[in-house]
Amino acid sequence: MRKLRNSMRISYISAILICMYIGPLSAQEVDSLGTISLNEVVVAGSYQKNIDRNTALTVKLADKNFLNEHFTGNLMQTLESVPGIHSMDIGSGFSKPMIRGMGFNRIAVTENGIKQEGQQWGSDHGLEIDAFNVERVLICKGPASLRYGSDAMGGVIEITPLPAPAENQIYGEVALLGKSVNETLGASVLLGIKRNAWHIKLRFSEQHFGDYRIPADTVVYLTQRMPIYGRRLKNTAGFERDAALFAEYRKEGAYYANYAVSNAFQKVGFFPGAHGIPAVSRLQDDGDSRNIDLPYSTVNHLKMTTRQQYTQDNFRLYWDAGVQYNHREEWSLFHTHYNNQPVPEKDPDKELVFSLPTFSSSLKADWLGAEQWKHTVGWDVQYQHNSIAGYSFLLPEYKRLTTGGFLVSVFHPNKNISISGGIRLDYGKIDISASQDGYLEAYLRERAYAEAFIEAYKWRTYPVNRRFGDISGSLGISWEPNEFQLIKANIGRSFRLPGANELASNGVHHGAFRHEQGDASLASERGWQLDASYTCEHERIKLSISPFFSWFDNYIYLKPTGEWSILPHAGQIYRYSGAEAIFAGTEVELHIDFLCNLTYRLTGEYVYTHNLDEQTSMSFSPPASMRNGLIWNVKTIQFRAELQSIAAQNRVARNEDRTRGVSLIHLSATMQLPVAGTKADIALSVHNLFNTAYYNHLSFYRKIEIPEPGRNIQLSIKLPFKLKLK
Amino acid sequence: MKLKIVFFICLMAIFSIVLNSCKEDSDTTKPVINLIEPAEGDALQIGGENGVHFEVEFSDNEMLASYKVNIHSNFDGHTHARASGASVDYEFEKSWSISGKNADIYHHEITIPENATPGDYHLMVYCTDAAGNESHIAVNVALSH
Repeated sequence: MRKLRNSMRISYISAILICMYIGPLSAQEVDSLGTISLNEVVVAGSYQKNIDRNTALTVKLADKNFLNEHFTGNLMQTLESVPGIHSMDIGSGFSKPMIRGMGFNRIAVTENGIKQEGQQWGSDHGLEIDAFNVERVLICKGPASLRYGSDAMGGVIEITPLPAPAENQIYGEVALLGKSVNETLGASVLLGIKRNAWHIKLRFSEQHFGDYRIPADTVVYLTQRMPIYGRRLKNTAGFERDAALFAEYRKEGAYYANYAVSNAFQKVGFFPGAHGIPAVSRLQDDGDSRNIDLPYSTVNHLKMTTRQQYTQDNFRLYWDAGVQYNHREEWSLFHTHYNNQPVPEKDPDKELVFSLPTFSSSLKADWLGAEQWKHTVGWDVQYQHNSIAGYSFLLPEYKRLTTGGFLVSVFHPNKNISISGGIRLDYGKIDISASQDGYLEAYLRERAYAEAFIEAYKWRTYPVNRRFGDISGSLGISWEPNEFQLIKANIGRSFRLPGANELASNGVHHGAFRHEQGDASLASERGWQLDASYTCEHERIKLSISPFFSWFDNYIYLKPTGEWSILPHAGQIYRYSGAEAIFAGTEVELHIDFLCNLTYRLTGEYVYTHNLDEQTSMSFSPPASMRNGLIWNVKTIQFRAELQSIAAQNRVARNEDRTRGVSLIHLSATMQLPVAGTKADIALSVHNLFNTAYYNHLSFYRKIEIPEPGRNIQLSIKLPFKLKLK
Repeated sequence: MKLKIVFFICLMAIFSIVLNSCKEDSDTTKPVINLIEPAEGDALQIGGENGVHFEVEFSDNEMLASYKVNIHSNFDGHTHARASGASVDYEFEKSWSISGKNADIYHHEITIPENATPGDYHLMVYCTDAAGNESHIAVNVALSH
């Protein structure tokens, strides 16, 4: 193994040297906001190209058309059609993002410039964002920590509002959504007004769904056969209610400001068979497919953000600030493994509560230096204070302060080459409260463990007070050899502060069904990330290939220790540990326009992960997959047929199940219908046409052998309207 | 043009590293537990003199490491309603080391004291191999006099 590591290091170093020789490799700058405000008018079609040219990273723009075409009522499931992006689903309600095999704390999602902060470390957490309220998304695949802080090492999903309409008007939209797989009914109303310098819009959305259907009558879990009554997964119903207000002020001149307030609320039931030991009695059909019974989870995310911006000549100063409050509760019928733990008097079934306020501030300045240069400096600060409640214990209370400053410069030696480089300094401080568990202590005493042993184990968490600091940087090039081709390469040194869960979690999570333990002595995660892309767009053909390779000298993962946990109901302890790891792979996209309005579209992706210490793959490695699609345009109607092929995933981490491959067929049509003086966007789709039973390697329910939702027929209607104002 | 060539050399270097590291993965196969006694739904005698007849076969593709047996109450589907009186909820937990690719275990080390509360219990068997792969199974048993 050491030999392998050494040879790895050598070839790795030589690769780096070769890259250095190529010269200035990359740096990162995903500057969509900058692009918008610096060039007020950007032609829609070339927006992606414009962004692409100005960053050395691999970026993908999901514009309004893309979002309409793939709309599902769930942002991550919508973005999943982008190669390299995955949605980690918890049933049909919650989903969280994964980019190139990295998820959880390694992906940042930003809205209006502020990073969304919830309990993203959790396996049953989902992104709390209203999918109806997303107008444009810029996805950056690969390390973006330079601008977004250490948690963005795996990539960024940046949600930005569309520019305000040019003319004074009142406008709006009514959107409706229906899905057959879980009988979703969703609606959203938008009202906007643009008057001179002001633009204000207000949106309200709601979605209700029932238990989802799976193409199976029974599932087998822990050798027990569990019936699925009516082929519907019991208690997976839920609802979502979101409201958002956005106001912006822009006068011809130097000052721009926006203010956004939004609240997202979700309540989703969990399949009762997934909590603890399967019990057939809990799976009896309750005759109601839309009720949300125990166990369930609720999350409320309140967010207020603002941008204040001042522009003069070649200089722009802008400040993004935000306050967020994420409140998550998990409810499950009171149960304990300690004889002496009484039933709480108030809310006896409230199992876990996490309340997390986050205060963020980010100050940036851009200026165009001598003709060929553009510089950005920034400084950001984020403060969080997590508090907990509930009869169970998983994650301690903590306070976390992170701050970082960066400088990014872009150099255009000529109009075809852009070289960017940057450096960032980060400092982070985490203060985790100790917590002793009296019930655990009594439990251990009852079982006559030695006094010293009890002293050591009665703590749920020891006090942890850690400080972290590191330098990260990147260097990249974007080169357009001619008008058809674009070549990019980027190398970045990234690092990530360990999360509170990695430092101090200690408990059995019902979903994961295992004892997960933090390690207070963990060093920060560090690695080198190299990525490149090649795009060729020539007449009827568009091809893009984007390979990447990352090497981490300390990648934090959950390591099975082989030590039996002393906690009741747990197997061995899984402890967060650092390992040397590799992530590599590529995405491919090909579009060919044939005659007769026919387009062929191919997307494919592959991710290879390897834990060099364990000599296994990393957990949650997305399997290789490919989508072959045909698009046929007839007047205002577009028909699409897609064959999605997902390979088997046989490369797994320890105690992760292999997942077999599958081929699925999806059909869809979108059209514009003139209705009462406006044009309605109508989209009808059939997902998983043959109702094939298959497993998703990245799904939360995978480990209890529950197949993915079956055939889904979906209808979405968007009815826009507009009234010109003088 | 030169830049292009160098760029591709760089790509080749990346792929060679990837291919280099594509070695066979180490053991990710879980051990197999075949619990013979007690079986699903069996009744276990409270205060039995000889202890519970426990019989299980473990097997692994490489090397077994340890197994653990846990018995805990499942009164009323884990709501853990307490029985009043002198009886106490029975709880058992113990681990043993094992080795080799196969281990056939047979013992009477699990004893249920006279004051154990009768009712529904879960009996769980966990097994790990030397690499840290783990399996577990659960059966429903009833404790009675």
